[in-house]
Amino acid sequence: MATYIGRRLILLPVVAFGVTLLIFALLQFLAPEMRAAAFITNPNQLNALPAIIEKYGLDQPVHVQYWNWLREVARGNMGWSQTARQPVTQAIRSFFPATLELTVYSFVPIMLIGVWLGTAAAVHRDRLIDHISRVFSISFRSLPSFVWGLLILMVGYGRLNWFPPGRLSLEADLFVRSGAFRPYTGLMTVDALLNGELWIWGDAVRHLMGPVLTLTIISIALLVRITRSSMLEVLRQDYVRTARAKGLAERVVINVHARKNALIPVITLSSLTFVGLLGGVVITETIFNFPGIGRWGAFAAQQLDIPGVTGFAMFVAALTVLGNLAADILYAYFDPRVRLQ
Amino acid sequence: MTWTRKFVALLTCALILTLLGGGVAQGQAVRNPDTLVLVRFGDPESLDPAYAYDTASSEIFLWHVYETLIFFNGGSTGAFVPMLATEVPTVANGGISRDGKTYTFKLRQGVKFHDGTTMTAEDVKYSLLRFMFMDRDGGPSWILLAPILGVDVTRDDKGNLDQSLFARANQQIKTSGNTISITLKEPYAPFLSIMAQWSMVVNRRWAIAQGDWNGTAAGLRTLNNPAKPEDTKLFDKGNGTGPFRLVQWDRQNRQAILERFDGYWRAPAKLRRVIYRVVEDFGPRRLMLQQGDADIVSVNRVEQSQVEGLPGVRVVDDLPQLVVTGIYMNLKIDTTGGNPDVGSGRLDGNGVPPDFFADVNVRRGVAYAFDYATAIRDCNRGKAAVNKGPIPNGMFGYNPNQPWYTTDRARAEAAFREARGGQVWANGFKFTIAFNSGNTTRQCMAQVLKTNLEALNPKFKVDVRGVTWAQYLSLYRQSKLPMWIIGWAADYPDPDNFVTPFMHSTGTYAKAQGYSNPQVDKLIQDARNETDPAKRRAIYFQLMRIAYEDPITLYLQPTGFIVMRNWVRGWYNNPAFFGPYVYPMSKQ
Repeated sequence: MATYIGRRLILLPVVAFGVTLLIFALLQFLAPEMRAAAFITNPNQLNALPAIIEKYGLDQPVHVQYWNWLREVARGNMGWSQTARQPVTQAIRSFFPATLELTVYSFVPIMLIGVWLGTAAAVHRDRLIDHISRVFSISFRSLPSFVWGLLILMVGYGRLNWFPPGRLSLEADLFVRSGAFRPYTGLMTVDALLNGELWIWGDAVRHLMGPVLTLTIISIALLVRITRSSMLEVLRQDYVRTARAKGLAERVVINVHARKNALIPVITLSSLTFVGLLGGVVITETIFNFPGIGRWGAFAAQQLDIPGVTGFAMFVAALTVLGNLAADILYAYFDPRVRLQ
Repeated sequence: MTWTRKFVALLTCALILTLLGGGVAQGQAVRNPDTLVLVRFGDPESLDPAYAYDTASSEIFLWHVYETLIFFNGGSTGAFVPMLATEVPTVANGGISRDGKTYTFKLRQGVKFHDGTTMTAEDVKYSLLRFMFMDRDGGPSWILLAPILGVDVTRDDKGNLDQSLFARANQQIKTSGNTISITLKEPYAPFLSIMAQWSMVVNRRWAIAQGDWNGTAAGLRTLNNPAKPEDTKLFDKGNGTGPFRLVQWDRQNRQAILERFDGYWRAPAKLRRVIYRVVEDFGPRRLMLQQGDADIVSVNRVEQSQVEGLPGVRVVDDLPQLVVTGIYMNLKIDTTGGNPDVGSGRLDGNGVPPDFFADVNVRRGVAYAFDYATAIRDCNRGKAAVNKGPIPNGMFGYNPNQPWYTTDRARAEAAFREARGGQVWANGFKFTIAFNSGNTTRQCMAQVLKTNLEALNPKFKVDVRGVTWAQYLSLYRQSKLPMWIIGWAADYPDPDNFVTPFMHSTGTYAKAQGYSNPQVDKLIQDARNETDPAKRRAIYFQLMRIAYEDPITLYLQPTGFIVMRNWVRGWYNNPAFFGPYVYPMSKQ
């Protein structure tokens, strides 16, 4: 097991190297002036374009630029992100906790509701609950995430004023940055509890509701459908029939014998969902003005902020490798037939 | 499946009804009465006054954290009142020397910085030198370098700092007691406008304590041309004399927080806090305004109708701006390595030669063909006007009585028939008008011009192409675009700041257009050095006349608007401001 994990972790730098090389190779297709665009915030600066290109070495061959970048990374310096207005490492450190918090809060309802609804739909096939779950899955999937996000924001904030955009309200925000509040983790709800400030916790949760609802709605459908079909498959197996023949309670048959075995495809999907959420939910973060990492990554890519995009891509690559690793370990737990050698 | 569809339809209808069903509670109480929240769509680049060169940065600290020696009088851009100085220098009060080269400012006594120390003339000198010698690539330092030292950059071609410039500047900026005098290289008429905007005073001792420039020639190496904005110590910190002190620039939550400074030399501000927040998406920005969580929000023209009529929201429209939008014609199109925007590259009806616009008749033809009224009505929602040259209407030097092009199909046809001995009319042409994609106003204007030109002659063909901002910069810079549209906003309110980029052979736009007219260059220089306003105005009239007779650019002046909650009080407009001036404002 340890060697397996070790071998998977060795993959990490290889993936990171490949991803960054790819980004730099793609840059070859862009003129130096285009790569300088992130530094031009005002048309009145246009005359300085050649000086800016010279200063940041943007006209050097791509392999030279890559080598320079690599040398800096080896020294622990991932560069300056022009779009985040801070160094790349600091940008990741400051944006990631918000996304992590959002991911954790969304992942719980997605998994619980998704697996429960999928199981129920399979068990009560072609009954009311199956139809309802199908209708919801289809209607949730049929609208793009920005439509859901805007709808939820318009109703939830514009009309009901339940969940405003951002991460904290003005008063809470000012309190958090006063000396009285110590940020331990960067996860606002956790910090609030550690500081014993329940009202901050409530405020943070209120601000999480909109994006969490949006993410739940758009991510849950697939999970419901996969769980349902996987459950149906398992329920047809001989051992389920044997379990029922033994006279086991239906609850035990479903929850112990059937569901555990039906979870393999669900683990694959949910690990992908988890990594996807962590790597950035650009649209949801943008609509709810949630200061997460995805919004920054997308903006950096748009603005051709080279160190920003490269750092972001490396980070997401690492997350993906780790996410797959976690999924593999879970497979072994749920299915002893999966050998990890 | 039809019942599923019905269900979805029902759900959608229900949602829409909920949305349309009602507005917000009317007559809301003032939210956060002592805090002004301004919500925009762009982050500041740096809060260092010597580094920042964009409105998103300057609007935060200018006159809020840092103040200038003199200030604009109310809404005027040409009349000044003292700020950190006690009087506006004139020749009559001895503040300006007879030769027009030396400006002397007497400083206000007892003005306190945010750390409680008192401002001295040494702080002012340090601030001016720091501004000049930071000189980052693409930065604002040229604005002081040009009048004082007569150069635009402090470095040679190899990027080495010219130390002799510092010695000269040190000589030319002198302190004596509580006065500071600045000697210019030559008389420079826009200098007071420049001082009103760019003489921001930072706290010298505090800056040095932060590890910033120590004020000596030896320290210039670290000050000059920093590689990253955070290399300057004032990047996210500030200490000036203004009515607000900078508490924090929170780059994670994308907001800058200012707090009232109670030791301010005038009455303390009415507002306790000012928050500049970035919300990129218009949807949430609008909702924040509607809910009262935002007091002033940035809105694009195309989104204006969505905020009009919101209860409790006030839209002030038709604000004069020091902005000119140009449609540029390129006299020397670069076709090396192929250029898809000029078609075949020959005048064969399928392209244009690189010097197509070098013929003044072609440019006049375009100027007469353009349907200004439609472009203004349909593309700018009527919120723009034709400008008769590069100097914005309303500014000193603008001649409202000079002739200008009006839409005239017959004259357009006559001009095109005359161009290149009739070849243009006989063969036709094809070229591209470019705009930066996403800018729907520019896209619409390009479409209008395309329609106008193609209506003249079936052999005239025009493509309209949107390119990304990055690509736009690249193509523009290499003179690859035959025709493009972009705006210019004033660095300081003076006609020199408009004729230079638009007409000087080294100007930002004129250079990319391949325009070079020695007479124009000389007139621009003469006007700069002319201190007699009447003579200076005559020179600008002459330049405007040339812009008409030998047109290289068509000019429009868009007007601005601001959207705020109607509980915001004390706001007023000055076209020279980079953002709302918060000191006199309050909420009630």
